[in-house]
Parts: sequence; structure tokens; C-alpha cells
Amino acid sequence: MTIAGAITILTYALAPFMWLLIIVVIVVTGLHLLAYLRGYQITRYRHRRTTLLALIIGLTAIIWVPWLTHSSLGYVATLFDWVALLGAAAATFLVALLILQPLSYLISFHNDQ
Amino acid sequence: MQKTPLLTRRELLKVGSSLGIGSLLPLSALSANTLQTQARIVILGGGAAGMAMANRLAKRLQGGTITLVEPRETHHYQPGWTLVASGVWNADKTMRPNAQFMPRGVNWVRKHATGIDADNKRITLTSGEALEYDFLVVATGIQLNYHLIEGMTPELVGQHGIGSVYASIEGASRTHQAIQTWLNSGHGKGIFTAAPTPVKCAGAPLKMTFTTLSRLEASGQRDAFKVDYMAPGAGLFSQPWVDEFVKQRFDDQGVNRRHYYRLSAIDPHARQAEFAFVGPESEFTSHHELREAEFRRDNQPSVIADYDFIHVVPPMSAHDFVKQSDLIAQDGPFRGEWLDVDIHTLQHNRYPEVFGIGDVIGAPINKTAASVKAQAPVVEENLLAVMQGKTPPAQHTGYTSCPMITGIGKAMLVEFGYADNFAFMPSFPFIDPTDESWAAWVMKDRMLQPAYYAVLEGQA
Repeated sequence: MTIAGAITILTYALAPFMWLLIIVVIVVTGLHLLAYLRGYQITRYRHRRTTLLALIIGLTAIIWVPWLTHSSLGYVATLFDWVALLGAAAATFLVALLILQPLSYLISFHNDQ
Repeated sequence: MQKTPLLTRRELLKVGSSLGIGSLLPLSALSANTLQTQARIVILGGGAAGMAMANRLAKRLQGGTITLVEPRETHHYQPGWTLVASGVWNADKTMRPNAQFMPRGVNWVRKHATGIDADNKRITLTSGEALEYDFLVVATGIQLNYHLIEGMTPELVGQHGIGSVYASIEGASRTHQAIQTWLNSGHGKGIFTAAPTPVKCAGAPLKMTFTTLSRLEASGQRDAFKVDYMAPGAGLFSQPWVDEFVKQRFDDQGVNRRHYYRLSAIDPHARQAEFAFVGPESEFTSHHELREAEFRRDNQPSVIADYDFIHVVPPMSAHDFVKQSDLIAQDGPFRGEWLDVDIHTLQHNRYPEVFGIGDVIGAPINKTAASVKAQAPVVEENLLAVMQGKTPPAQHTGYTSCPMITGIGKAMLVEFGYADNFAFMPSFPFIDPTDESWAAWVMKDRMLQPAYYAVLEGQA
């Protein structure tokens, strides 16, 4: 299969979930904008417990991503299966981090006021 | 009254896919040549093959008329029916309006075709009207011949322990219910059959067996159920490696394999099935050699088997009106049953203005949606060449694909073609066709349906 063919099919595959992707983008952008207006800087702010929580959420993806696809972890067998599943877990960790970091900043900012 | 959106979903997808392709292809490839013509092109059938051709030709031809003959308003994603019959998908997921895929400028005739007069280039419709053509694409799909099994009708699916994933989407749902009823009974014998003819999605009878085994094993009462697989020939699948794999797996999972048995009759009320023993010497060992008359043989040894659930796979052929036309194969292995095309160029062997695509063609493999994906660009290029008086340049490799579900949640991405005794033709170097994997299952569950719709719209 050509790369162009794969992209075409991916476009079709993502189309039903476009609403979800748009909501995630709006939530992430909104939170970052709101936090930025209160002094948040993505490259500087670190919150260990938030990172840990995002990591745990990412790791849980190893269980629920196969379940979402009507399968189970027991059938994740080949090297490519594991690369795909760990990729999904890493993406989940990243999204969770992008939501939780500004959120935790906003909560601590609110508490400090 | 419905409002017309600024961009329909279909147009949005086209923009998206064009951006994807546009970033990767040189400009010359983007401006695919269009052909100015006054020709009348008729496409018979609006399934995967017919709809893909309508979209492709609508993009490539300027002038002329393209007519698609398709009576159905609903398009069925048939590769999803095994998932419906296995209880993984809801039936609704497999249905879309045909209008969603119909390209602009194509004349959609919502009638059945009843005859093809190839000498006079004329199609007869149910209304009695005639449709004349200069070029014809036959994409009529397949006819399910339940009547060749005595006592069997598609209406029986879902009753008396009878299932048949092929019957219809309703039949697939009722097959799921019939299997569930059998499981709920807590014991009994299930018989899975195969047809002695080429069938669409040749892996489906095996997939139904594997997914049912998954459900039996998940019930925790596997030992209370007996499972038989009755095959009309020596093989279970045309690809040799997969054939051996499935046989071994059936043995490992306690499936009682019996070969050279063809389902000949069924008594729904008694829950008994009659199987004709066709024997290793029979033509049935090569399932492409079957003729309808052979179903009527007398004095064939037979066995009667009781069942609690039976999965019926009907014999299949081209539709009767195609079989009665001059376009049907007149000799060779597909005579009398399938469209007579060159299996590489897909051009008719005797009528050069006629092309065949999809399930209807006489080919040793290729009755899958994946085959349509590979065939559609070939028919497009070759038809345009013939319209310009040139020799068909494109060759179909026989590519076909079967995501062989070996259990609910795992599959093998089996892709192969004509060459080297159906050697594997993997699309992805990182997916081994001989491995059972979650990724292959995800492709079946999530990716192939969007890919199918991309094919329908001429985008893949």
C-alpha cells in the first residue's frame, strides 16, 4: 500500500471521530489559553503528581484500548501489536498531560488567590 | 425541509484525502487525464464494484452518459456481516444510503436488469424498457442458490437452529440469535458447512466457525458442545498455507472435520441435514468445477446428521439473467456459471466493449471487496484505452484479501494473488500474514470499513 493510500484510508477512518478530536483540541487549547492568561508557561511548569496521574492514565490504555476494539490484552501478540498499543498508550499519556498540567496550574492559582 | 450544508461529509472527506494525496504526489499524477467522449456507458450493479466504477468513470470521462442500474436504495457493507452474525457489531453499522455514494452526473436507474443482449448491446429492465450501450461494465455480484439445498429457504434463517451469514443483513442478525439460542441451551451439536461452488468472501464460513468457537470457549462449557465442519472438497481455503493452518487449528480446537460432504437437503423441523458424499474422485474436489446439474445426481451416497445449530452456506453463481446471456463463460472451468473475462485485463473474452468486475467474474479467487479495490483501477484504465481504440494496458494481479478472524479479538491479515500458487502479497511489511494479531483484528474492526467507502467513492 502506498503512503498516499494509507493517508486516504486514515482520513476516512478518522472522519466518524472528528467530533471527538475537535472537542479534545478545544478543551486543550481553552485550558492552555486560560492558564497562559494567568501566567502559565508550558515549558516551565512542572507538577509531579499531575505527571504521575497522566502516566497512570496512559498505562491504563494498555487495558482499555484492546477492550474498545472488541479484543483483549491477551491477543496483543506480535511486535507490531505491542508497538501500536504502546503508541496508543503514549498518545493517551500526552493528551492527559496536556489537559492535566494547565488544569492543575489553574487549580493551584485559584487556591492561591 | 433539510438544509444543504456548505460542505457535505463526502466533500469534506474529499478535501481531506486530496490534501493527504496532494502532499505526496507529483502534479502530473494529480491531473489524471480525462477523456472527451459521446459514448453511452452502462454499469450493471451498484454494489462495491459498480459504485466504485461509477465514481471512477465520472471523474475520468467528459461528455457521454454513464448509467448505473441498481434497484436498491441501501448500500450494505457486506464484509461486516460476519461481525454482526458474531455479535460484535450492530446491523445498523453496515448500512448507508446508496445516494451517499452516487456521483453527480451519473444516471441512476432504480430497476432490476432482466436480460443482456450482447450482440445488440442492449439491456432489458424489469419495466420492459431497453437500455442501449456502447460500453458495458458488468458488476452484478452473486446469486445465492439456497434452492439447490432441498428444504432450505433464506426465510428459515434464524429459525429451527438455522444460521446463514450470507442470506442478508437481517439473516446475519438472526444467525447471531440462532447461535445465542444454541449457546443458551448449554449443550448440543453445531454443524458448519461450506459450498461446493466459488463463494463471496470464501473465509466467511471459517470465520463463523472460529467466532462461534470463541463464544463457546467464553461460555466455560466448551466440552458440552460438539462442533462439526463439513467441507465439500479436500481443502478449506484456497491459499495453501492458510488452508493447512485452519485445518490444524480446527483439530486443536476440537472441531470434527469431515471432507467431501455437500449439504444436499435440510429438514428444519426435525433438525436434520442430509449430506451427499461426493468422494475424493468427484469434481467437487475442485470447487470451481461444479455445475448445477450435478446437484441432481441420483444414487449418491448420503448421510443424515442431527444438529442443534447449522450454519448453511448456499451454492453461488452469477445471476440467472447473466447466466442466460451470451456473456457467460461457454467453456473452461467457469462455463455456464460465471462471466467470461480475461482474469488479468478483466475485459470480456468475446465482447471487447464489455468488462467485468467483482464477484460475477469467472476467476479462481477474487470474490472480495479487497479484490474490487485492486480491480477497479484496472477496469478504469482498460476501458478508457478500449474507448480510444487501444489495447488494454493494465493487468490485475489477482490480489485479494481476507482478514481471517481466528477468534473474537484476533485475526490474520491474509493477502494473496494469482502468482506462485496464490502466494502472499502483504501490503504492510511489518504485518506477517501468517501471524494472528490484534492489529489485524483492529484493521477488520475499525479500518477496513472506511477503506471500503474510500474505494466506493473512487478514492482508494
